[in-house]
Amino acid sequence: MDVKKQIKQIFTIGFILLSLLSFAQEKFTISGIVKDKKTGETLIGASVLLVDSENIGTTTNEYGFYSIQVPKGSQKLMYSYVGYNSLIKPFEIEKSIVSDVEMDDVIVLQEVVISAEREDDNLTKAEMGTQSLNMKEVAKLPVIFGEKDVLKTITLLPGIKSAGEGANGFSVRGGATDQNLILLDEAPVYNASHLLGFFSTFNSDAIKDATVIKGNSPANYGGRLSSVLDVKMKEGNTKDYSVSGGLGAISSRLMVEGPLQKDNSSFMISGRRSYADLFLKLTEDFSDTKLYFYDLNAKANYKINEKNRIYLSGYFGRDIFGLGDTFGTDWGNATGTLRWNSILSPKLFSNTSFIYSNYTNNINITAENNDFNINSDIKDWNIKQDFSFFANPKNSIKFGFQAIHHTITPTTFSGTQENGDDKNSRTGLENALYISNSFKPNNKFTLDYGLRGTSYSIIGADTYNIYEKGIKTGSVALDKGEFGKTYFTIEPRLTANYRLSETQSLKAGYARNGQHLHLLSNSTAGNPTDQWIGNSYNTKPEIADQFSIGYSKNLSQNRYEIGIESYYKNMQNQVDYKDGADLQTSPDVESQLLYGKGRAYGLELLLKKKTGNLTGWISYTLSKTERKIEGINNGEWYNAKQDRTHDLSVVGVYQLNPRWSLSGLFVFNTGNAVTYPTGKYNLNGSTIYQYGARNADRLPNTHRFDLSANYDFKKRGRYESSLNFGIYNAYGRENPYTITFRENETDPTKTEAVQTALFKWVPSITYNFKF
Amino acid sequence: MSKITSVFYLLVSIILFTGCEKVVDLDLQSAESKLVVEANITNNPGPYSVKLTKSVPFDDASIYPSVSNAIVTISDNEGQKEKLSYTSNGVYKTKLLQGIEGRTYTLDIEVDGKTYTAQSTMPQKVELTGIKLSVLKFGGQERNVLFPQYTDPLDFGNNYNFVLTVNGSKKDIYVLWNDNTNNGLTNERPVGGPDVELESGDEVLLEMQGVDNMVYNYFFTLSQLAGGGPGGGTTPTNPPTNISGGALGIFSAHISHSKSIKIP
Repeated sequence: MDVKKQIKQIFTIGFILLSLLSFAQEKFTISGIVKDKKTGETLIGASVLLVDSENIGTTTNEYGFYSIQVPKGSQKLMYSYVGYNSLIKPFEIEKSIVSDVEMDDVIVLQEVVISAEREDDNLTKAEMGTQSLNMKEVAKLPVIFGEKDVLKTITLLPGIKSAGEGANGFSVRGGATDQNLILLDEAPVYNASHLLGFFSTFNSDAIKDATVIKGNSPANYGGRLSSVLDVKMKEGNTKDYSVSGGLGAISSRLMVEGPLQKDNSSFMISGRRSYADLFLKLTEDFSDTKLYFYDLNAKANYKINEKNRIYLSGYFGRDIFGLGDTFGTDWGNATGTLRWNSILSPKLFSNTSFIYSNYTNNINITAENNDFNINSDIKDWNIKQDFSFFANPKNSIKFGFQAIHHTITPTTFSGTQENGDDKNSRTGLENALYISNSFKPNNKFTLDYGLRGTSYSIIGADTYNIYEKGIKTGSVALDKGEFGKTYFTIEPRLTANYRLSETQSLKAGYARNGQHLHLLSNSTAGNPTDQWIGNSYNTKPEIADQFSIGYSKNLSQNRYEIGIESYYKNMQNQVDYKDGADLQTSPDVESQLLYGKGRAYGLELLLKKKTGNLTGWISYTLSKTERKIEGINNGEWYNAKQDRTHDLSVVGVYQLNPRWSLSGLFVFNTGNAVTYPTGKYNLNGSTIYQYGARNADRLPNTHRFDLSANYDFKKRGRYESSLNFGIYNAYGRENPYTITFRENETDPTKTEAVQTALFKWVPSITYNFKF
Repeated sequence: MSKITSVFYLLVSIILFTGCEKVVDLDLQSAESKLVVEANITNNPGPYSVKLTKSVPFDDASIYPSVSNAIVTISDNEGQKEKLSYTSNGVYKTKLLQGIEGRTYTLDIEVDGKTYTAQSTMPQKVELTGIKLSVLKFGGQERNVLFPQYTDPLDFGNNYNFVLTVNGSKKDIYVLWNDNTNNGLTNERPVGGPDVELESGDEVLLEMQGVDNMVYNYFFTLSQLAGGGPGGGTTPTNPPTNISGGALGIFSAHISHSKSIKIP
């Protein structure tokens, strides 16, 4: 009955959206694709503006497609994009036309021009908590281990915190690390870290663009509470073959791209391998240790005709760690995406995607000729249909649906000796339906609103136990293919932007997000062995309601940008494990779980200098995130482990001369919330520590300064190269990785706290080339 | 498999050639002093003892005051009941009571106007038939490890707590296994690993305790905390005790079977 009501609501809102269209006047449409002149790579988010009217415009979508309605007669469109020369093109409009546009890269001679397309974009768009990263910007930032990294860069933005040195993932606006939807060409990436977070799975050579949305995402995204990180791979050069790569002390990369059919179709293939373990071979203790990762990105696109294009892209990555013959573990993601773009009419763009994603981790232990394996696995098959309807200059509508079939295999054991535990893979079907509209009644006001409805059905075969406070009270047995419980979420999304004056604007937003998959981790830092579970009869969809307001101001002809945003987020059905939980070997991991709620709030400040020899930003976040779960901390609110009060990043890039550029990065943050002992006692001759309230203590503050210098060699013909030097943690701050407690060696009646730090300072050098 | 976390911790420590340790001063809160109960009853002949002490704040010296003014009784579900007599250092002892497998024991403590109660069931006996010695390599380091020889009964729910004593001193490690995996099979899991050095000539005494679920959970929780500490391991918590009334510690009625071996 509830469901019926919700469906009715969806239809009502749909009708309201459609009725808006009928007010549209008859106009003609200019549509087409915006590309880079040199490589033919399509440009995402380039702005297309009708000059001389109310300055109403649009932006290209993720495939570089735009569609804009214009009145009859002489018209001019202005095309602009970060780091490219703006282009004004005149039209004599008598009918709807197609106009593909190629834009010129800004030639870097005297300075790096990182100029925004329309430099006041931040003032005109309704989107909130959204940052797009251009790989050109990322490339100039200081790097760790000689690798530029999208994931590392986004943690320098306000509201986004890295999980810390040696830990997987990142946290957005107080969310947990599993509450980020990380997409690589639309395929979800379940673990975006290599080498326990020191590298990300995103090889920057293969990446074209990354956008992060901090909770207020439009209705076409969904499935995670806190954020969307949408990463898109390069399509490959449609004009000419090109090779680029980098040689570093820790890892090397190589990328090849080129046309399949000149100007129309192209491919890109990129690989990377780390070889830090070669150094281990030199040490006696670790001579038989394996420790490396590799990944491979590949993409091809084929233009069928003017209206249809197919893209095929894939990723495969793996981490491998082994200790002699005794212990071996590997983990990694594999994704594949097949997409079909179709321009159904100048106003209607369609994309159909078939997506595969798989994350596995395996552990193998050999003892006394006995093999012992531990595996867990999550596998998705996904179909997605998106339509963009450029109704009229005031309304552009997106709608579509998505269906994901999840197969989740919990941690299972097998081996020569093992009788095998009878844990089954669990399957679930996640569906979503959405519609949204971007409404621009005039050039002062923008309103993006939409609705997403999702469902998650539990599918057999398996037996699902029902627990009441950790005690089994019943069970539901489902046959193969039989549908069990279905959960529904209705997620309204709304963001509004009002331009107060030429240089300032005010924003406000509300979004509800639902999440049907949950990551279980009982360690304070994420492990590759952390397992995913779907909704069940105990675990319900997580829900977050986020309210945010913001203010943006540009100073000195858009050279400086100030952004202030504040948010409050309320979270339901949060999952945590009970004290002393056994997440590895429990016959049913659900017996180890507890459920409760969470809340997070904060203030984010960003000051950005966008042009000139010195560019960069200062970002500061003041925030709080807490949880309240029956059975933990006596049911009282406690700090979530990712709670950090202060978080500051200062990023600067200075172009010294045409060859040298310097960049520096300073970060400071409050230590993570942890639990320290408050007392101690003796039992059976061992000292045992007594703990107080959960996460009531703090690790010491973390801060460090990274520095890097980049030298561009003189271009020889097509051959471009550069050398990058970097120092991570330049002043050698010993940032706490862990704090442990032990008895003093000389005086066993004393106990002491011992801090372990990871990197005091790490130099790196990388040679990059392109031809 | 509680060691998986510490294996990843080891991975991190390999990555960080430059990693470094130092003693730091932290401003820790002080917990109020609580009664600590260390009570064991086994299938071996008595006397059995109950030791009562008090916990102290973390920053204080590790000198634990003993409690001598308590009334301590142990009874079982077959009508045996005995009041324990105080000896010294907080230790109360039985005279007559005999631990028998399968029976449920109740511990009652009265002290300073408060009462504390605990129950523990001694499981059915599982025979430790011997110890097999073997050498395994851990990241280039060779370690002597012990394979306790026993066969897990077919019924689910058997828990084992191993106590390792080397040259007369008890090792500060927790080895807790249950039959969630390898149910009904002969044991193939080793005791020992990278952090336990057993050298030639060492006299090793391995005690296998068959324990009930509550006792298992108590020590399993402690074993989970042993890995990393704040920032690296499991979020620390107080282990769930079977003693009601707000005391720390555990009352364990367990099967005890020991074997010794000399490392050649």
